[in-house]
Amino acid sequence: MIASKRLLSSLSLFVATVIALSACAAPPPAAPPPAPAESKPAEGTAAEIPPNWKAGIPKNPPDRKGKKLVIRDVPKLIGIGYFAATTKGMEEAAKELGNIDFKTDAPTEAKIEKQIEFLDNFITQGVDVLLFAANDPVAIAPVLKKALDQGIIVVGYDADAQEDARQFFVNQATFEAIGQALIEDMVAQVGPEADVAIVTSSLTAPNQNRWIEEMKKYSAAKYPKLNFVTTLPSEEDQQLAFKATQDILKTYPNVKGVFGLSSVAFPGAADAVKQAGKCGEIAVVGLSTPNQMRPFVKEGCVKSVVLWNPVDLGYAAIYAARAIADGELKPGATELKAGRLGTLKINGSEILLGPPFIYTKENIDNFDF
Amino acid sequence: MTDTKAVRATRRFTLNALRSQEGVLLGLLVLIVVVLSLFSERFLTVNNLLNQTRLFTETALLALPMTLIIISGGIDLSVGSMLAWSAVMLGFSWQLLGLPLPLAVLICLLTGLIGGLVNGVLIAYVRVPALIATLATLAIYRGLSFGISQARSVRGFPEEFTFWGQGQIGPFPTQFLILVTLIIAVHILLSQTGFGRWVYAIGNNEVAARFSGIPVERVKLALYGFSGLMAGLAAFIFTSRVTTTRADAATGLELDVIAAVVLGGASIFGGSGSVIGTVLGLLIITLLRNGLLLAGVKGDATFMTIGLVLIVAVLINNVLRKK
Repeated sequence: MIASKRLLSSLSLFVATVIALSACAAPPPAAPPPAPAESKPAEGTAAEIPPNWKAGIPKNPPDRKGKKLVIRDVPKLIGIGYFAATTKGMEEAAKELGNIDFKTDAPTEAKIEKQIEFLDNFITQGVDVLLFAANDPVAIAPVLKKALDQGIIVVGYDADAQEDARQFFVNQATFEAIGQALIEDMVAQVGPEADVAIVTSSLTAPNQNRWIEEMKKYSAAKYPKLNFVTTLPSEEDQQLAFKATQDILKTYPNVKGVFGLSSVAFPGAADAVKQAGKCGEIAVVGLSTPNQMRPFVKEGCVKSVVLWNPVDLGYAAIYAARAIADGELKPGATELKAGRLGTLKINGSEILLGPPFIYTKENIDNFDF
Repeated sequence: MTDTKAVRATRRFTLNALRSQEGVLLGLLVLIVVVLSLFSERFLTVNNLLNQTRLFTETALLALPMTLIIISGGIDLSVGSMLAWSAVMLGFSWQLLGLPLPLAVLICLLTGLIGGLVNGVLIAYVRVPALIATLATLAIYRGLSFGISQARSVRGFPEEFTFWGQGQIGPFPTQFLILVTLIIAVHILLSQTGFGRWVYAIGNNEVAARFSGIPVERVKLALYGFSGLMAGLAAFIFTSRVTTTRADAATGLELDVIAAVVLGGASIFGGSGSVIGTVLGLLIITLLRNGLLLAGVKGDATFMTIGLVLIVAVLINNVLRKK
């Protein structure tokens, strides 16, 4: 009896797991949509709200200036290195600031309906601040609006919700900053005059296309002799990225550097260069997570990995929450003082984390995601 | 003299009621509510409790047919997938085919019904064991959801559509009233009608049921079809609540549903169980999860506690039944 029950539950659990895994095979860090390029709002005075303010505002919040804050963080899921890192940064900031009761809790799978339940329960609990990284920007909106209606401060990070469902969003990396960092990283390795190629995810992928656009814009202005010979797709398939890079090396013998623009294109490209025995000869630069690139970085085939630092991301989110509670961060503000990160710029309702973080041989072992 | 007799009879009756599965569950529920309300003053509030009904309606809608199916000796593992498929069809037919929303909702319900009937045909007529048939359709319906939606979500439903999942009638969430109506209807169906007795008879002994003239195949087809239809209804309410249709919605929901039904005292081998038991099982799981969260217990510890309660409830039940 027990055996058959166990069989039943383990079977369905297995199938569910397979499905869940295949459904979310892509790694969590995906670039957020770009900040809307609107005219910069003027410095707001007192409680005035700039006319073009589209983000949410809590209804009749109590005076929280200098008071103890109960902050709850609901990331997409818990139990993975990436969000463990954001939590680490949040704990660090909460400790630094003091007078903060902080806790992260979220579902163990990236499921929006479970995430809503966590948020809902925290609203009932009567917290001061909710931090979130949305599993779905639209589905999460009603529950966040409910929090705002009850005077709760709502700040997003990593993955945004509809703009009117939260106050501020900590944007980990703008397309512009990523594009610039990639070019600078490449030029540092191959010099300002070289042939380079791009291995992207798919030719229609919106994030990748924006990065390419920013890369070309920046290099055209600063390094006009950096020559982009081709852009090949890898369709989120590491084998395809591997093959595409091999083709590039054969077709364009003068290529000195390859960009890998997704978490599978980058290791695929690095692997192709490594197997061609051209480590150190051909630079591989790109975006991916430390865990995926660790072996290549350790061997020296890849010098650096461009991404943001999730610890800093979490750290900034707590500073933003405290500043909102203290009345320092208001609609229309253009700057946020965020402890060891210095002063962060604000574009509309998006707090910019600043230039991407570069993972190298020296620091990559401090990260596990 | 007669007085003491009456008292004794009443006492025996109460004792029996307490020893019944429902009695044990009710006791457990009261205990949980009392203990958890000591830990958080926000737990035992009308607002919180009504709000919880929003979150568990979809699970409860699926638990009703699941109770009948488990009593009949079957199981339906595909309910979560049917929900996702129905939801995807709602979004697909509304946004991509441009159909009016009420028609899209009808398609959503029909999709669930068809999914359920396919299960029913496989189980009742092709005679594939329910566990295997619905395990297969669990994968198939989920696959269809991803295929049809191309793993993209449909959004931007109009404000009035949110009435069913976010609105309220008087103080009650809309879906709570729908749920209560259905609970009463299914309870009457199971406990007061010939159809209900057929369901128990099939679960107790299918061969005997067939020889006594019960149309076993048609009853099974009806049960799985009903399960699909409820999945369609749950999909509609779910979509209205979260205002987006996603192919990965309700993944693993079948486990929550089955856990509630089994905790409610339905035997996985068929023949016993009740709607009241299932509702109590659902309430225990929901309130336990909600109460522990409000009391500040972390999510993972909550899951373990629920598992523990499930085992304890079954043990108590076994001990009491042996007496």
